[in-house]
Formats: sequence, C-alpha cells, structure tokens
Amino acid sequence: MKNTPSTPADDVVPSRTTGAGRLLITVYGVFAISASARAGYQIATQFSDAPVAYLLSAFAAIVYIAATISLAKPGHKWAVAATAAICIELLGVLVVGVLSLLDAKAFPHATVWSMFGQGYGYVPLVLPLIGLWWLYRHRAAASR
Amino acid sequence: MTIDGWFIAGAIIGLASTITCAVAAVMKKKPNDITLVALAAVELFILAYAAASVVRLANGGHIAGQPWEFWGYIATAAALPVGGFYWAMMERTFWSNYVMGAVGVTVVVMMARMAQIWYGISTPA
Repeated sequence: MKNTPSTPADDVVPSRTTGAGRLLITVYGVFAISASARAGYQIATQFSDAPVAYLLSAFAAIVYIAATISLAKPGHKWAVAATAAICIELLGVLVVGVLSLLDAKAFPHATVWSMFGQGYGYVPLVLPLIGLWWLYRHRAAASR
Repeated sequence: MTIDGWFIAGAIIGLASTITCAVAAVMKKKPNDITLVALAAVELFILAYAAASVVRLANGGHIAGQPWEFWGYIATAAALPVGGFYWAMMERTFWSNYVMGAVGVTVVVMMARMAQIWYGISTPA
C-alpha cells in the first residue's frame, strides 16, 4: 500500500463552501439582497436626488452579488473571483467610509458603505475581513 | 419609528429563534425539531403579519410610506426562512443552525424597517 503523507490531511481540509463557509455565504447573500433592493428602490424613486450616491449603492449591490456567487462556487477560479470581489468590497467600504467622514456634504444620502457601514452595524466593514481570512484559510483547498 | 405590538412580537419571535438556533449550534447539535420549529415560527409570524396588514388596510388602515416597498419587505421576509431552510438542509452540520439563526435577526431588522414604512419616519434616514 502506497502511503503519501499529504493525502490524509488533504481529505480533511474542508471545502470553502461547507461548514462556516455556508454561514459566510448566508450573510453575503443577505447583504446582496438588501443592497440590491435598496439600490433598486433608490434609483427607481429618487435617482435625481443624488445620482452619485445611488450609483454607488448599485455598485455595492453588484459587488455583494458577485462575492456571494463566487464564494458559493467551488474551484480555484471562483476563489480568485471571490478574492477580487471582496478586495473591491473592502476598498469600497474604506474609501466611501473615509470620504463620508471628510466630506459629509458629498454623501448626504446614505449608501451601504457610508460611515464604514455604520447604518448596518459595521457589518460591511467586518465582513470583507472575515471573507478574506476565510479565503486565505482555504487557499490550499481552493488551488486543487 | 413607532413601536407597535407587531414589532414587539416580531422582535421577540425573531430574537428567540436566533438565540435558539445559536445555542443549538454552540452545543454542536445538528438541526433538530426545536431549531426547525424556531425557524418555522418566524415564517408563521411573517405570514400572520402579512394577513393582518391586509385586514388593517381593508379596515381603513393606511401605509405612510410606499405600499409596494412595504410588500416587498413582507415578501422578502417571508422568503428568508424558506431559503434559509433549504440552504441549511443542503448540508446538515451544526453550522446549519447558525445559518438558520441568521434568519431571525435579519427579519427583526426588516420588521423595524417595515414599521418605519407603515407609520412613517419623522427624520429621513
């Protein structure tokens, strides 16, 4: 019987989409739905009030949808896609957070990322960090 | 926002459901009858809230905000326990209970928003 030392360990490395990953995908899914609904509502009813803020809302919604789908799909390419989506998400919440602090007048209309996601219990700020940590933990499993 | 009996009932049921599922998950239990009932309670509450809202409107009630936004929230809230159930049951581990627990607290947040739409808000968000 051939015994390669790495094989048993490989088998117990859980996939990205199981266990805690399902909870992570759930939270991303909730944000994808709520961000899309909010952006859709804002654009449909009061787009002329603050086009930049509402386009930003729509952009955030697309990022959350992309992150949710790519996290839920197995395989290396989807892991890369998820990493890209979550990096954009982190960048978005940081840039919009800083801008909304420095120049509140430019962001009078709340987006999901305004004030680092204060209106959503700072979950938008913490979520990408957890997402990236989760992807990093499963980088080996993802590359196979 | 105006806090009415519906919001209080929804908050109690939603948080109790989340706590029940979270405790079961911490105990490393797989989804069982108790956590499934906790999830079903959230669904039943939303259906009851939807039915009661129809009755209130029929009896001369009035939604301060956009009615279709209110019903959008109702439909999404009613879909959440169903979606959470399927997503949790696709892989039955103790993590499924955390997934199901996420539904209750999300519905509580949505109940708060629905109360704002129904009664109106003095300061725009």
